[in-house]
Amino acid sequence: MDLRGGICMESIIYVTLVFLLVFCVMAVVSNSIIKSAIYLALSSAMLGVIMYVLGAHWAAVFEVSVCSGLVTVIFISAISLSKMKRDEMDKLYENKKRLSFLPAALIIGGVLLTVAAFAKDFRLPAAAAAVSEDFREILWTTRQVDILGQITAILAGGIALVVLFQNDEQKK
Amino acid sequence: MNYLNYAAEAFILIPLAAVILNNILPKKFMEDHFHILSGAAALLQMAAAAYIFCIMDINRMRHYSFFILWEKSTSDSGYFSVGPVALVFLFCIGMVTFVSVMIAIRTVDTKKISYVNLLMTLLIGMNGMVLVNDLFSLYVFLDIVGISSFVMIALYQSRKGLEGSIKYLVISELASIFMITGLAFIFMKTGSLSYNAVSGVLPADISDPQTILIYVSVILMIAGFAIKTGVVPFHSWLPDAHQSADTSISVLLSGIVIKIAGVYGFIVLTGLFKGVRAIQISLAVLGMTSIVVGALLALRQDHFKRIVAYSSVSQMGYILLGLSTGSVLGLIGAVAHVFSHAAFKSTLFTNAAALHEQTGTLEINEMGGLQSRMPVTALSSVVAFLSTAGIPPFAGFWSKLLIIMALWTTGNRVLAGCALCASILTSAYFLRLQKKVFFGPLPEHLSSVVEIKGSIKFIEILLTAVTTVVGLLFPLILVYLQSRGWI
Repeated sequence: MDLRGGICMESIIYVTLVFLLVFCVMAVVSNSIIKSAIYLALSSAMLGVIMYVLGAHWAAVFEVSVCSGLVTVIFISAISLSKMKRDEMDKLYENKKRLSFLPAALIIGGVLLTVAAFAKDFRLPAAAAAVSEDFREILWTTRQVDILGQITAILAGGIALVVLFQNDEQKK
Repeated sequence: MNYLNYAAEAFILIPLAAVILNNILPKKFMEDHFHILSGAAALLQMAAAAYIFCIMDINRMRHYSFFILWEKSTSDSGYFSVGPVALVFLFCIGMVTFVSVMIAIRTVDTKKISYVNLLMTLLIGMNGMVLVNDLFSLYVFLDIVGISSFVMIALYQSRKGLEGSIKYLVISELASIFMITGLAFIFMKTGSLSYNAVSGVLPADISDPQTILIYVSVILMIAGFAIKTGVVPFHSWLPDAHQSADTSISVLLSGIVIKIAGVYGFIVLTGLFKGVRAIQISLAVLGMTSIVVGALLALRQDHFKRIVAYSSVSQMGYILLGLSTGSVLGLIGAVAHVFSHAAFKSTLFTNAAALHEQTGTLEINEMGGLQSRMPVTALSSVVAFLSTAGIPPFAGFWSKLLIIMALWTTGNRVLAGCALCASILTSAYFLRLQKKVFFGPLPEHLSSVVEIKGSIKFIEILLTAVTTVVGLLFPLILVYLQSRGWI
């Protein structure tokens, strides 16, 4: 049962990884800025699934809610708020040089890396020991510095939004 | 020890308190007195750094660890710590922040509240980077520095400012991606990113395939820090960002941000992977290329701030050369050059602010003969130029001398010779700048120009005095370092 469960989990990870890669490539090569934002959200969602399957539940929740949800909302809001008309923007975006060689480059690169890894008998180091303590406990007791850093990062982000979006009546 | 703890906590808590005060006090009052709050925060930082240095020296302490707000942690990632190198950086941060505030009194006419908010978050970010003991925490504070700098460049939302800030943001995020990927590889190997855990993680056996992973992470981190430092070939963002930002912000970027976000990262990296030849060679190649290419590019510029920005690219090369030696003398030379560069580059940007305020332009071809109209600005500019070129007795001479001595004593004699010769290039672009701006005939349209007054003039005099006095007293600093067994 465990063996079947393990194989099932591995299958989910590999299938999701393929989808993740496909959505990432689509986000880069797409001709529409809205579609690019949506593909980016989908790739984040796939990453969230991988994190969940690997047991990083909190990280998965943050990845899906913030990177896949909030960031996409911000992207689409910014596109909507832009004074440029949608079709003009799409046209401008369409005319940009696309990385059409990206999928081929990724496939060739992936194959070369796999061959090199087999030739060198390369194995990734075993993942760090699974953490048995509560995530919140660790954050609070051993990562105080990062909490302080995150508070400041949020503060800086808030100030940035105020500065960039406030009505500047007295433009320099 | 209590006072020592209060002083150490001040590095984070004072800027945080300044942000809160800036937003709760009446807007009109803060707009009129914004320089008092932010200037006081900068001066307190310098005082705290000097006080901690003295106490640590008296008690022969190499490091002092402290906590902020929370109770003690068992992990070494959970606390801050300061040492002599960190204190020099913290002092420089305070000094350049003070200079920025003094320039801002004249140049920042609107958005004063936003300026103080961003300046203080930038201060927390830079202080945090210097104080942490963990690579991930370093990354967190590095991002705060990135966010604050990006918005500061775009403060006035001018087209040039936005263009410069977008360039900075995109390239800065690229650096962040390199760094976080590198950190992930190291974490896979060690299970922790605290400096103690990562130190010595590179095994001697290079044939071990897993070692490749650590080397890849080191390469990624070198690339990330090189982008943040603005060294060649990762320099494309730097002149645009520095030129397009307000001068009070350019002085911060060139005077301290690139040093904290980039050079300090290199210091951490060389400390963690001591004696790794590949890192030393990479830093030497980056440093030498940067010195020469930065100087050659500076020669081709016609905008005062662009010349000074390219000069920063070149001078960062000297700091990397010092670090590439892997010796204590090289580290001391690099840190000394961080200080002297902070002083003379701040002077040059203050000169830029003075010239822009009085003449309305920074195009050097539109200027000339200003030494008769602006003698204080001209004198301070000449002193800063002499210090940059490494002419005695100014501060820049001693720091460059230490770097060249470190290169010579570690067997890198060709590099030492090249670094020495490259000073001629520094002299070349600054002589051109001085000649075009301050000497020659005075153009008709500048005949009514007068010397700048107030805070900018005060800062020009102060920084010139700092560059000269530190240069004159440097032999005493060397005697002190020798007495402590550091050189």
